[in-house]
Amino acid sequence: MIPEPNFGWTSTVGEVILGATRAEGGTRSRSYRIGGGTTLPFMEKGITSPSPLIAFEICDDSRFWSPIINEFCGDLIHDPGAWAKTAETTYGADLVRLCLTSTRQRDFSDIPTLGKTVETVLASTTLPLILEGSNEPKIDSEVFLKCGETGQGERLLLGTAEAGRYRSIAAAALAYNHSIIAQSPIDINLAKQLNILLTEIGVQKDHIVIDPYTGALGYGFEYSYSAMERIRFSALKGDADLAMPMICAPSDSLTIKEVREADTGVRNAIAVEWEFATSLAAAVAGAEIVCVRHPDTVKRLKAAFTGLKTRSGM
Amino acid sequence: MRTVTFLPGYNKIVAPRGTTILDAAQRAGINMNVVCGGQGKCGKCVVYVQSGKTKFDREKFGRFFTEEELKQGACLACETTIQGDLSVIIPESTLIQEQKILVNGIDTAIEFHPSVKKYYVELQSPTLADPSPDLSRLLWGIQKGGGPIAEKMYAPLEVMREIPALLRHSDWKVTGTIALVPGGYRLIDLQENDTSQRLYGAAVDLGSTTVVAYLWDLITGKVAAVASNYNRQISCGEDILARVNYAQKNGIEKLQALAVDSINAALTTAANSARIDREDIYEVVVAGNTVMTHMLLGIDPAYIIKEPYVPVVQRALSVAAARIGLTCNKNCGLFAFPAVSDFIGGDIIADILACGMSEKEEISLLVDIGTNFEVVLGNKEWMFSCAGAAGPALEGGEVLFGMRANPGAIEKITIDPVTLAPAFSTISGIKPRGITGSGLIDILAELLSAGVIDRTGRINMEIKNPRIRAGAHFPEYVIAWARETDIRKDIVITENDIKNLIMSKASIHAACVTLMKEAGVSRLDIATIYFAGAFGNYINKKNATIIGLIPEIDLERIKNIGNGAVAGANLALINRRKRKLLDGIAGQIAYIELNAEPSFMDEYTSSVFLPHTDLSLFPRVQALLESIREKKEAP
Repeated sequence: MIPEPNFGWTSTVGEVILGATRAEGGTRSRSYRIGGGTTLPFMEKGITSPSPLIAFEICDDSRFWSPIINEFCGDLIHDPGAWAKTAETTYGADLVRLCLTSTRQRDFSDIPTLGKTVETVLASTTLPLILEGSNEPKIDSEVFLKCGETGQGERLLLGTAEAGRYRSIAAAALAYNHSIIAQSPIDINLAKQLNILLTEIGVQKDHIVIDPYTGALGYGFEYSYSAMERIRFSALKGDADLAMPMICAPSDSLTIKEVREADTGVRNAIAVEWEFATSLAAAVAGAEIVCVRHPDTVKRLKAAFTGLKTRSGM
Repeated sequence: MRTVTFLPGYNKIVAPRGTTILDAAQRAGINMNVVCGGQGKCGKCVVYVQSGKTKFDREKFGRFFTEEELKQGACLACETTIQGDLSVIIPESTLIQEQKILVNGIDTAIEFHPSVKKYYVELQSPTLADPSPDLSRLLWGIQKGGGPIAEKMYAPLEVMREIPALLRHSDWKVTGTIALVPGGYRLIDLQENDTSQRLYGAAVDLGSTTVVAYLWDLITGKVAAVASNYNRQISCGEDILARVNYAQKNGIEKLQALAVDSINAALTTAANSARIDREDIYEVVVAGNTVMTHMLLGIDPAYIIKEPYVPVVQRALSVAAARIGLTCNKNCGLFAFPAVSDFIGGDIIADILACGMSEKEEISLLVDIGTNFEVVLGNKEWMFSCAGAAGPALEGGEVLFGMRANPGAIEKITIDPVTLAPAFSTISGIKPRGITGSGLIDILAELLSAGVIDRTGRINMEIKNPRIRAGAHFPEYVIAWARETDIRKDIVITENDIKNLIMSKASIHAACVTLMKEAGVSRLDIATIYFAGAFGNYINKKNATIIGLIPEIDLERIKNIGNGAVAGANLALINRRKRKLLDGIAGQIAYIELNAEPSFMDEYTSSVFLPHTDLSLFPRVQALLESIREKKEAP
C-alpha cells in the first residue's frame, strides 16, 4: 500500500466558469467550473474529481492550418459550423476552440464576417467556446469587441492576452463578462506579472486562465512542464496571483521536423502520437484544459485520463 | 614638426607630422570626449579642420557625419593625422564639460587622530659633557615634546643626511614630522624653526569618472579646501574596460600619469584656493576602485579583467607619494585603500568605513550605484558583497535624452496625475537639455503612479493626452516641448528607455535579494540601507522604493551617504584607528559572483516589474498605488 502523500498545502487553485446554459443566461448545453484543485493533478482523493477538459481547435481560414489536419478532416475545414458540430458529436471534445486565422491576412478588415462565423459556430455546437482572436495589434480592439459582443451571455474564454498586448482583450472581456487566456513565455514570474497587470485593469481573478506556453515535446516542453509545476506549487502554497487554472495548446507539435519530414504513410500517426504525448504531459503538469487539433488525439487523451484517474493504466 | 592651433581657445602646440589630432590636443591640455579610447568607434571626438593638410579616411568613418559636416571639414580627432600646419576648431560638444560632482561626504563627527604629526623642539647643543649623537638628541627632544617613544622612531637615510647641518644651521631649533607607518614611527621630514602649524593632508576619491580631493588642516582638524575635476584618463576611454585595453595596447605609463595628473590638478586647485603651499601636504589617502588603484600605482591591471579576475594586490599600501609623481612634500606618504576583488575595490571599502556598517551589531545594506553597482550586506560579524553591471541607464546612458549630471539635466520631476503635466527642476536652473539618473527614477515612479505606464513599463496608448504619442520607434511621453528646452527638441522618455531603466533597477534589486538569501536575511531584518555614489546624493528615496530599486524599508532608515569613497578616505586620513580597520574589513567580506548564482536570473526576472512581481515584498508601495488608483477611479 502506498501511503497518501501529504504536502501540507493549504490553498487551492481558483475556479473559472466557462460556458453558460439557458438557465445561466446562455445557449450552451453545459457549463464547466474548472480549477479548484487541492493537490497535484490526478492525485485528488476520490474519482469524482473532473478530468482535464479537451478542447478541439478549429479555424476559419485553413490556409493557416496544419496540412495534416486539413487532409484528415477533409471538407469540414471550409465549414467552421459543421466542423464544430463534428467535434462535439463525433470527435467527443469537451470544448471547441475557434481560431480566427482569417485575421492573419494582410490588411484584414472584414470584422462583420468574423461576427457571422462566431454566430454560426455558436449555433452549430452546444459546447462552451474558446475564441482565439486577432494576431495583429492594430485590429485587436475591433476584433475582440466583435467577438465579445457576439458571444454575449455565453461566458466565452477569449484568447490571447500577453504582457505587451492585453488592454483590448481585457476591455472586451470586461464589457461582456467573458474570461481571458493570459499567455506568457514559459516563466513563472512573467505569468504572475501578466495576471497582476490584468487584475489591475479590473479583470477578476476568476476570469483568468493561465497559458504558460506549451513547447513541443523534445523542443522545450520540459521548460513548460517545470514552469507549470512551479505555478501549481505557488497556487497551492497560497499565491493568489498564480492560483488560476491553466490551459495548454501543444499545437507546435504538428510543425516540428519529425512530423513534417515523416514518410507520408506514417506522418498522420506520428502527428497524433506527438500531440498526444505532449498534451498528456501537459495535463499531468497541471493543465485544466488541453487543446488539440487532431481528432484522433481526443480519443487517445480521453482513454488516458480515465486510466490515470482509476489508476488502471492506459 | 607641425604647428596645430586649436580654436576657439587659440591653444598652439607643435607636434611631429603623423601625430593624431587627438594626441596633439591631449598634449595641449584639451580634454576631449573619447568614449572608445581613441579607436574610431564612438564618433565623439569630432573636430573641424579649418585649414591645413590632414589624413582622414572619410569613407571608413563617413557614417558619423552628414554630407554638410564633411564639407565643413568634420573628422574624428583620433583617426586624423597631422600632415601640415593646422587650424582646428573643437566644438563645445566634443569637450568634456563641467559636471556636478559630489564633494560632501557623510556628516558624522570624526575623532581627530591623524597619522602624521609635527613637533617643534628646541634642543640643547652638544657639549663634551653631553656628547649624545644628533639623531638621539633629536628623537629624545621629540619624545619630551609629546611625541612617540624615541626608541620606536626611526629616520630614513635621506633625512639622516640632512640632520647635522640642519640642527646647527637652525641653532638647534627644528620641527620634525613624524608619520605612523606600518614599520613604526618614521621621521619623514625635518625643517628649520617652528613650522608646526603648517601640516596638511589630502583625502582623495579616485573615481573612473571624477576625482575629488579634500584638503585637511591636520593641526586644527578642519577641512581647508575641496576640489574636484574629471579623471583625465577619460581621454583614453570612458569605461574601465576601454582603459585597461588602452593600457594593454599602449602601456600603463600614460594612464598612470593621467591619474596622477588628475589628483595633482585637484590638489593644486584646493591648495590654491586655501592659500596652502603643497610642500606642506604630508599625507595623501586615496580610495579608488581596484583598477584605478592599480593604475595609479603603475601596476598592470590586465589580469583583473580576465578570468579568473585576479587583482595584483588586495591589502592597503603605503608608499612615498613622490615615487608615483604626486606633487606634495617630497617625503609625503601615500596610503591606498585595500580591495576585496576585481569589482569590490577601495572605494567600496571606503563606503563601508564611512557608513560604519562593519562596526555595528545591526544589519545594513549598502548600495553603491555608479558606472557599475556594488552591494554589501552585513554587520560587524559578517559581510557579503557582490557587484554587477546595472547598464548605463541610471546614469543617463542608453536613454534617448539621458545625460550625466551636467547643467540643464532634469534632476527632479513630478507629474500631475490628472493633467499629466510635469513639473521639474534642472541642474543650474537653466532650460532642460536632458534627464539625469535621479530624474529618470522620478519619472518612472511618477508615470507609474499616474497610470501612464503599467508595471512592465509599457505606456498606455489609450490615454488621450498630447504628451502621450506613438513616437518614431517607440511610444513616448513628452517631458518638455521643444520651445521649453535648451536643445530645441521635444525631450521625451520612450518605452524603450523605460525598459532599459527597469532592467537596470532589476539587476540592482536582484543583487540585493541574492545577498539577502545568501545570508538568510529578510528585508525586515535590515536596519539601514545606505545609498552611496554620486547618484545616491540626489536620489528620491520614496521614488527609488516605488520603482523597486531597493528593498522596501522605512524611508527614514534609508540614508544617502553621497560620495562614500571620499568620506571613507577622509576618515582614514584624520583617524588612524579607523585606518587600521581597513585590512580587516577587506578580509572579512565574502564576495558572491552573481554569474555563478543559479537563482540570480530568477530574481532578476521577478524584479523586472514595478516594483516587483512579489508585491508582498513592497506592501507600502502596493498600498500607495492602490490608493492612487482608487482616487482616480472615483468620480
